[in-house]
Amino acid sequence: MNLRDLKQQAQQDLASVHNSQELENWRIKYLGRKSSLSLFFDNLKDLPLEEKKEKGKEANEIRQFLKTIYTQKKQELEQSQAQGQYFDVTRPGLKIEKGHLHPLTLVLREIVHSFEKLGFEIVLGPEIETEYYNFDALRIPKNHPARDLWDTFWLTSGLLLRTHTSPVQIHYMEKHEPPFRIIVPGKCFRFEATDNHHDIQFHQVEGLMVSEKITLANFKFIVQEVLDDLFKGQVDLSFRPSYFPFVTSGLEVFIRPKNKSHSQWLEVMGAGMVHPDLFKTVGYPPNLWQGFAFGLGVERITMIKYGIDDIRLFFNSDLRFLEQF
Amino acid sequence: MKFSYDWLKDLVYFKESPDKIAELLTFYLAETVVSYRGKRPILEIDLLPNRVADVGGHLGLARELSAILGKTFTYPQPKLKESQKSVKKWLKVTIKSSDCLRYSARSLWHIKVKPSPNWLQERLLDCGLRPINNVVDATNYIMLLTGQPLHAFDFQKVAFNQKSQKEIIVRLAKKGEKFTTLDDKTYTLTNHHLLICDLEKPLALAGIKGGKKAEIDQDTSFLILESANFEGARIHLTSRELGLVTDASFRFEHQLDPALTTYALDLLAQLIQELAGGEILKGEIDEKTRSFSKIVIPLKFQEIPRYLGWTPQKTEVVKKLKLLGFNLKVKKDYWLINPPPYRTDLQLPQEVIAEVARLSCFDKIPVLPPVEAIKMPPKNETWEFINRIKDWLKDYQLEEVYTYSFLSEQDKDLLPSGTKENILELRNPLSDLYRYLRPTLMPNLLKAVEANFRFRDQVRFFEIGTVYQAPRTEQISFGGILARKEFNARKPLFYEAKGILEKLFEDLGLDPDDYLTKPLEATDQTYVENGLSFWHENKPLGIIGLPSSFILRHYDLKGEIVLWELDLLALQYLASAEREYQPLPQYPAARRDLSFIIKKQILIDTILKAIQNSSSYLEEVDLFDVYEEPALFGSENQSLSFHLIFRAPDRTLTNKEVEQEMSQIIKAVRKLGAEIR
Repeated sequence: MNLRDLKQQAQQDLASVHNSQELENWRIKYLGRKSSLSLFFDNLKDLPLEEKKEKGKEANEIRQFLKTIYTQKKQELEQSQAQGQYFDVTRPGLKIEKGHLHPLTLVLREIVHSFEKLGFEIVLGPEIETEYYNFDALRIPKNHPARDLWDTFWLTSGLLLRTHTSPVQIHYMEKHEPPFRIIVPGKCFRFEATDNHHDIQFHQVEGLMVSEKITLANFKFIVQEVLDDLFKGQVDLSFRPSYFPFVTSGLEVFIRPKNKSHSQWLEVMGAGMVHPDLFKTVGYPPNLWQGFAFGLGVERITMIKYGIDDIRLFFNSDLRFLEQF
Repeated sequence: MKFSYDWLKDLVYFKESPDKIAELLTFYLAETVVSYRGKRPILEIDLLPNRVADVGGHLGLARELSAILGKTFTYPQPKLKESQKSVKKWLKVTIKSSDCLRYSARSLWHIKVKPSPNWLQERLLDCGLRPINNVVDATNYIMLLTGQPLHAFDFQKVAFNQKSQKEIIVRLAKKGEKFTTLDDKTYTLTNHHLLICDLEKPLALAGIKGGKKAEIDQDTSFLILESANFEGARIHLTSRELGLVTDASFRFEHQLDPALTTYALDLLAQLIQELAGGEILKGEIDEKTRSFSKIVIPLKFQEIPRYLGWTPQKTEVVKKLKLLGFNLKVKKDYWLINPPPYRTDLQLPQEVIAEVARLSCFDKIPVLPPVEAIKMPPKNETWEFINRIKDWLKDYQLEEVYTYSFLSEQDKDLLPSGTKENILELRNPLSDLYRYLRPTLMPNLLKAVEANFRFRDQVRFFEIGTVYQAPRTEQISFGGILARKEFNARKPLFYEAKGILEKLFEDLGLDPDDYLTKPLEATDQTYVENGLSFWHENKPLGIIGLPSSFILRHYDLKGEIVLWELDLLALQYLASAEREYQPLPQYPAARRDLSFIIKKQILIDTILKAIQNSSSYLEEVDLFDVYEEPALFGSENQSLSFHLIFRAPDRTLTNKEVEQEMSQIIKAVRKLGAEIR
């Protein structure tokens, strides 16, 4: 067979190959051991030397050519095969079902995480308290109007539901020596009529940092860092005087969106320098330790973060609410 | 508390607008808003409990505002024109209880009771008080000015003693003694309530409200003026016990400065004389039950930067403290400080420093990072464990809920006995809906499903929260509920819920050998029937099951519902085991399938145990199909199919060996009544 015709034929045949099976058939026909090219090489030895040289060179070139176009075609086919079957890529993906974490869990985690980055340890405390830990040890004496700031649920046994996470300050200090820095996330209770902004239960994150030299300026630093972290640097802070018997100075921290001087300041935490009487109460030596404490309102922060306007939504277990987070 | 902006301006010179004053007060004292009565601005200040005693009057507020503005404040001085008659001849005060710290009194004669002038009426109305007559209005006016509650009695209605004096007696009530107030309400007292009396009858409930007996009326022309000081806690308790809160009681319970009585009394006598004429008897009665000593607080200057992280100017601090009424003796590197007597809340150096910080404005204090050693905080394992479970369940299509910690009366009645008896009850519930502390999460989960069934066919919830039991046991509980309106016999929710827990336990690292399950006995629970309990050794871990039809009916629930509740800390304890690597198997496994028909009443657990116990090379057994076909093998039977995997650790099992294992297993299940298919 004429080598030139062979080359032409092979090229033509290859153009009509559409799948790997056809390609394999083509390979067998043109490059296989029984192919006319192979047979041609087998017969080459019988030719005179001069002709052998000439024809051999030509045949070799053709074989090289066929191998090249074979490899190209093979790659082409593999590529188109990987695309496989036809897809309407505009069709929506399969619906993957997942549940949701409660918004308070999400925000509590963020708050806790921010403080953890600054080295605060997470401590938990009881929700049922004695009058001593909830009030007396925190300098909120019986029959003092200061106690009226905390409306209390009492149990018939005389115990009470903690009105703030501050009792954990006393519990912790009774068992640990400074220096330390802790946060206490937890549920609290208030005996009060409910409305958009008040409910009978709510969550706080208490904080306490004590060493020989923790100052009010340090408190401002920590709270600035954490609120910047929580609100991605998008809030301004303001510190205003307040009164909590277990701190001196007592203050409140307000936030409002950055660059919006007309919008309202919103209170997010009460704080202050730990009152020296508390250190005395837990048996620390006088004038050795100092530090700050604060209580952060979790519902408040969550409502600000997500723009929620009714605190009662948190505890009503309404799926239409829960699925949004 | 309401303060008149105009009145304040009469007392201290300033140019600031009402809004500016409100802003200053908010940043230096307490939250303040401006409202208007007609055109007159009113400052409404949310005074904090420690400042009612000293800022509760316009003078105190003026003093505070002067300090904020950096101005010296001067008090108005009373100028009394007294008559020749000595008050001591006509009036006597006897204090019989130390709950009365001080009692000062004066007397005015020949006055005329009439309506107050307009300016006075307006001042009272601005501050939220109702004008009555010139005498009563004057007492209220001076109270609003000084913060000291005052009272006027009709001299002639008070009884004489044997020396022909009017005698005021301050004493505790007798148990059961009755007292009628000015507004004709009668209270029955007990022996820790304090009264102002004459020799015959109570005249006033001390520090709270005046009585009928010596009331000022149109014909009154002789007065006894009272300016007293009482133990704040006593007034607070009495006021709460009787449900009687007045302007006077509110002020007294914040423990007023006893030094205030005579000053306010003199101002009052002067004002009444201006308004009602008459003569002021010479001198005053002033009885005390204790002496009032000054406190001295030593303060080293270096303590201020140590506490605040900020070094103020020494001269500035001295100036601020003096403006606030502090007395300072400046020594070399420390000060001796007398806080003003009206600041009963200041006893310690740190409290004085706090005043320095407040009056410098908190926003001025710098923001400084603490200089503390870097230390890795210890992990809170419980917190992390809770959050691992929450993430896991969220990924498995459960929604997290936070329900109330409370149960209603009806919820409680449905609880199984044993639980019911140990329930904690509130002494002051807001309503019957929130009367008890939940000893289990289940009732609130059921209620949550019921609420959502109104607009959803399927609900899957979990909650991790505290449950409570008497006397004061708290437990972190992990509860869940799967519910749908329609039953699906092919995929019962119970098996899904059980599967969730089994896989969760596995992922948390619980070794299946560490816990066991027992089917619930009919007597175990009335709340959940048809379920399992989980146990570790002899301790219960929790239960999973279907709520009883009785419970479903009460919560108005229909459909397929599965509940579980587990003790989270017990789980955490079991989950703390470390994982250990197992070497990969050296030899191939042999797989066989086995199907048989067996009676449904034979528990799967029994069958699995029988299979496991009859082969020594069985590595895994997996039930992959349960099939019922009443027409073929009767309604009491079902067909079960298992994958069985055999392996030996030290060699490849021969076909013959595997067949031998199989025949042992078959023998064992035949013993249970199985018919091999």
